[in-house]
Amino acid sequence: MDASSIDFLVAALRIATPLLFAALGGILSERAGVFAVGLEGMMLAGAFGATVATFLTGHAAFGFLASIVAGACLAAMIAIVTVRFQAEQMVTGLAANILAIGLTSFLLRSFVGRGQAPVIQVALLPAWPVPGLADLPWIGPLLFQQPPLTYLALLLTVPIYLMLMRTQPGLLLRAVGENPIAAFAIGAQPLRVRALAVIACGAITGLGGAVLALQQIGTFSDGMTYGRGYIALAAIIVGRWMPFGTLVACLVFGAAEALYLRVQAIGLPISSYVVQMLPYLIALAVLAGLGRSARLPAAIGVAYDPKG
Amino acid sequence: MTTAAEGARLQLPALMQRVALTQESLIRAALAVAAALVCTAVLIALSGKDPVIAYLALFSGAFGSIDRVAFALNKATPYLLAGIGIALCFRAKIINIGGEGQIAIGGLGATWAALALPVAHPTAAIALALAAAMAGGALWAGVATIIHLSRRVHEVLVTLLLNFIALLIIGEALHGSLGEVGAGFPQSPLLPATAWLPKLWPRTPLHIGFAIAVVAAVGAYVLLWRTTFGFAIRVAGASRPAALYAGLSVPSITITVMLLAGALAGLAGGVEVLGVHYRLIEGFSYGFGFNAVAIALLGALQPLALIPAALFLGFLEAGALAMQRQVGVPSSLVAVIEGLTMLFILAAMASAERKPQ
Amino acid sequence: MSQSEPFLEMRDIVKWFDDVRANAGISLDVGRGQIVGLLGENGSGKSTLMKILFGMIPPDGGGIIFKGRELCEHTPGDAIAAGIGMIHQHFMLVDAMTVAENVMLGWRAAGRWLRRGAVGHALRETSARYGLDLDPDAEVGRLPLGRRQRVEILKAILRGADLFVLDEPTSNLSPPEVSALLEVMRRLRTEGKSIIFISHKLHEVLEICDDIVVLRDGKAVGRMPAAAATKAELARLMVGRDVSEPFQRAERPPGPAMLALANIRLPAGEGSVGLHDINLSVASGEVLALAGVDGNGQAELAETIAGMRRPSGGRILIDGVDATRCGVAERVAAGLAYIPADRSQMSLVQAMTVAENLVLRDVRSPPYAHRGWLNRAAQISRAGGLIREFDIRAPGTGAAAQKLSGGNQQKIVVAREVGRAPRVLVALQATWGLDPVATRFVLDRVLELRAYGAAVLYISSELEEVLAIGDRIGVLFAGRLAGVLPRAEATAARIGLLMAGGAEPSPGMAA
Repeated sequence: MDASSIDFLVAALRIATPLLFAALGGILSERAGVFAVGLEGMMLAGAFGATVATFLTGHAAFGFLASIVAGACLAAMIAIVTVRFQAEQMVTGLAANILAIGLTSFLLRSFVGRGQAPVIQVALLPAWPVPGLADLPWIGPLLFQQPPLTYLALLLTVPIYLMLMRTQPGLLLRAVGENPIAAFAIGAQPLRVRALAVIACGAITGLGGAVLALQQIGTFSDGMTYGRGYIALAAIIVGRWMPFGTLVACLVFGAAEALYLRVQAIGLPISSYVVQMLPYLIALAVLAGLGRSARLPAAIGVAYDPKG
Repeated sequence: MTTAAEGARLQLPALMQRVALTQESLIRAALAVAAALVCTAVLIALSGKDPVIAYLALFSGAFGSIDRVAFALNKATPYLLAGIGIALCFRAKIINIGGEGQIAIGGLGATWAALALPVAHPTAAIALALAAAMAGGALWAGVATIIHLSRRVHEVLVTLLLNFIALLIIGEALHGSLGEVGAGFPQSPLLPATAWLPKLWPRTPLHIGFAIAVVAAVGAYVLLWRTTFGFAIRVAGASRPAALYAGLSVPSITITVMLLAGALAGLAGGVEVLGVHYRLIEGFSYGFGFNAVAIALLGALQPLALIPAALFLGFLEAGALAMQRQVGVPSSLVAVIEGLTMLFILAAMASAERKPQ
Repeated sequence: MSQSEPFLEMRDIVKWFDDVRANAGISLDVGRGQIVGLLGENGSGKSTLMKILFGMIPPDGGGIIFKGRELCEHTPGDAIAAGIGMIHQHFMLVDAMTVAENVMLGWRAAGRWLRRGAVGHALRETSARYGLDLDPDAEVGRLPLGRRQRVEILKAILRGADLFVLDEPTSNLSPPEVSALLEVMRRLRTEGKSIIFISHKLHEVLEICDDIVVLRDGKAVGRMPAAAATKAELARLMVGRDVSEPFQRAERPPGPAMLALANIRLPAGEGSVGLHDINLSVASGEVLALAGVDGNGQAELAETIAGMRRPSGGRILIDGVDATRCGVAERVAAGLAYIPADRSQMSLVQAMTVAENLVLRDVRSPPYAHRGWLNRAAQISRAGGLIREFDIRAPGTGAAAQKLSGGNQQKIVVAREVGRAPRVLVALQATWGLDPVATRFVLDRVLELRAYGAAVLYISSELEEVLAIGDRIGVLFAGRLAGVLPRAEATAARIGLLMAGGAEPSPGMAA
């Protein structure tokens, strides 16, 4: 494997990281029975929080915290409307995304920029090479010379998997997404579980926004997530709502986008626009290929009425 | 057999129930808007500006002069056109979020027709370009529907992903065959004047697109409540098993409604290109799709109620630009109001549905 | 029968739903190691009472004392902790999970980190002891209904329930599965557990219970030891009047075959047994009544005839004309009427008006529509006529269907299908969820249609109805027609055997 191939894979992983956060968060929400259409907005909120907090305090740690809080706040709004009021989940997610776009833009200009678009630049997080492992041929640069949030994303798949499949709370969460009445009959509170799942989704997805802001772009601009939240949704479906499958899906989508950069570097006579379409085309193709076999959690999108 | 008088009496409850429902929904919409405005007023205050002054600037920016009003109506037009299609889709329980892509392809179609097929007579030129716009939008919606129906991919995902692809297609076209050479910006050459939409109100920006949109709204109302196809839409939207039982074909209803919605969205794109910009500009349809969804919700999926809903958003956007200029409150406030309004309406609609009848 | 002090005492339970009094001061005692039967028709208040016991809804009056302690404002979690195990009529199971996962759900003893090994072991042990025959790793969604019910029972046993509430447990079971369940109940009683057995099936209640309590209209109208009870007495208490008069049946020679099925096949799928070589014919002026436990192909057969499912083989003839390739609308036009089982999602659009529902299947043909334009006046006048003719109690033609009672909703469906004067009527569980008066209405209309010369295929899991109105009586079992007998030869015993999968000495093919 030559150096440029490694670069390609490193880029793929880098691009996949925000997707992975969002997809992991989204799995929690969808497994509990709430469509995660709001991932886009949660990621954007997280990116905003990360950028502003890091800019104002100078420490990326505050940025991480702020991104988690921002994502969770937007998720809380979604939770109130869909879980407490039982509103239509997909359109609520859309509304939240619209709100996020407007609110982040507004807050940036009103509170940080004194009425105009401010110029915010934050230093990108450097790579943290893992001592010893970073020097391995091929795998070294690929896996062990990544910035911190990438490690976090990869590692997060394990506890989320364990939680979902091996613990009582995970069992309960899955039951709420499949048959909330059954969960109620054994003494659980499905609405509370759903709300918590949505908020947890927001917190994790917010970190995805932090990745975008602090590891890739270095500033905040309106609507900078540009559809990544929806790609993450596609990744969840492709990954069959399981953390490891979703990880693979995110890597595939990341590779598709990385291809664009590669093609540019090589200078192939393919229009840049066509190459930019690749991630979306691949997402569509994979979803279409899966077709009927995608088995959603049975009670997703179905309102649960506690009064029976 | 009933007598005519009895028939009339039996008929009254049907009409009244529908009117009552609409009244209820409109009150709900108005309350949601008011709540959103209050929330944003708080935001404005927190940012150090006076909300009252800000809203006054908003108002005068929207209604201050004939030109301003014309500007607002023009803004409302594509939302109304696309929103009608989306409302019909939602009525059939099809969640079509592809408005933005369908509008963009519609604009592309109109531009291509105007440039590639020049026609001397203005009416014919406009008709041809708008027909191409409708065909483009319908085509794009058709692609989404085929993928959705044949491969069972959720319509939200398909339409969303196709939005991005559509925008990239536009970009590609404007960098290639349809682009204006030498312009520093991705846009098409200026379209021939025969294809420009005439004004509805002379010496103002207001073009006939608004009239077309209103006619479309009335047409959608008649379709939904007076035709068998409208009946089929309503049954399919209420319950898929019932539609099957009633002898309706849900796939064929889905295709027809989506094509119709695509055509309306395409028309919105064509009208925007031919009436406002007189050329295709990259990103001209940014946000239109989501705004159309917002309007459809605001109007409780009733075609006629979509007219005031679209006007509301149009005036809001027109006023917000003025507000930003005069008071310094960012115009992204509109998206905040829009998002909040949608959230409040969704919550209110849902809790009304769950109330014991 | 064991002598016992009250293990469970429910005192004067009252519950209102809007202005309907579901429970009007019911008192119920259950002793230790006792099986008490709770008998009553739909709407008598049985389910409400049990939901209150289990903490799913709060009572508006009265109290509960269990094992000497008061149960007040409790949740299902509290009820389970106290030792009450509820086996619901509609299983509270997660289909996508395994038996073990369903058992572990919400069970503290399974641990925060699920102890799959230990649970699996306990599961196998308990399953063996009570004769439940369950595999911990089986996916619940793939189990037959009888097995799924046993998962519910196993859950309750493992959580240490001392009082089991079985809500209509046999409604979806075949006779051998019913016997197996009763055996499990006996074993539970031997171990000192108490059971409340809710049912409307008299013979089962008489067979297994120690005492029987009858509910009617929200009140307890009688309690007696099972040994001292008779079916007639229980039926009288349940219904409140003497057993209804016999049906009017005009005896007439049947006419030509109106509906014929030849070798109809439907592949089996997830949750469906499919149809295997169905051959039947129904003559004009005849009722072919098919009995069978729900889930043996009834819906598949009815929907295939109605045109909603496409068979993989075979032919359907309506009045001699091949209708196999026709869609639903064409079959309606050919004179085929269909009353489905599901009022909430299929036969009615709940959100639409009464008038719209009354023309739901006819709205695209004249006079209700002309070239795509609806004729409202014609719809409303037809609706008015049908409302009067069938005595549908509705606030007006413009009222939403969901505002009507279940009985009146079904009247809309019946009025629409029967009012079309069809040549063939297919009725699937047409009396489900209806009180005795409404049930009688439906059966009378079916017989009326028969008298007019229509061919009727009446499919029901209520054996009494099938025996009452069928000219010929058959049984659907596992997607096959397991024998068709003329009325005179169709005894409950023979039909019951066919329903359980037993074979007739000479298997019947429809004439």
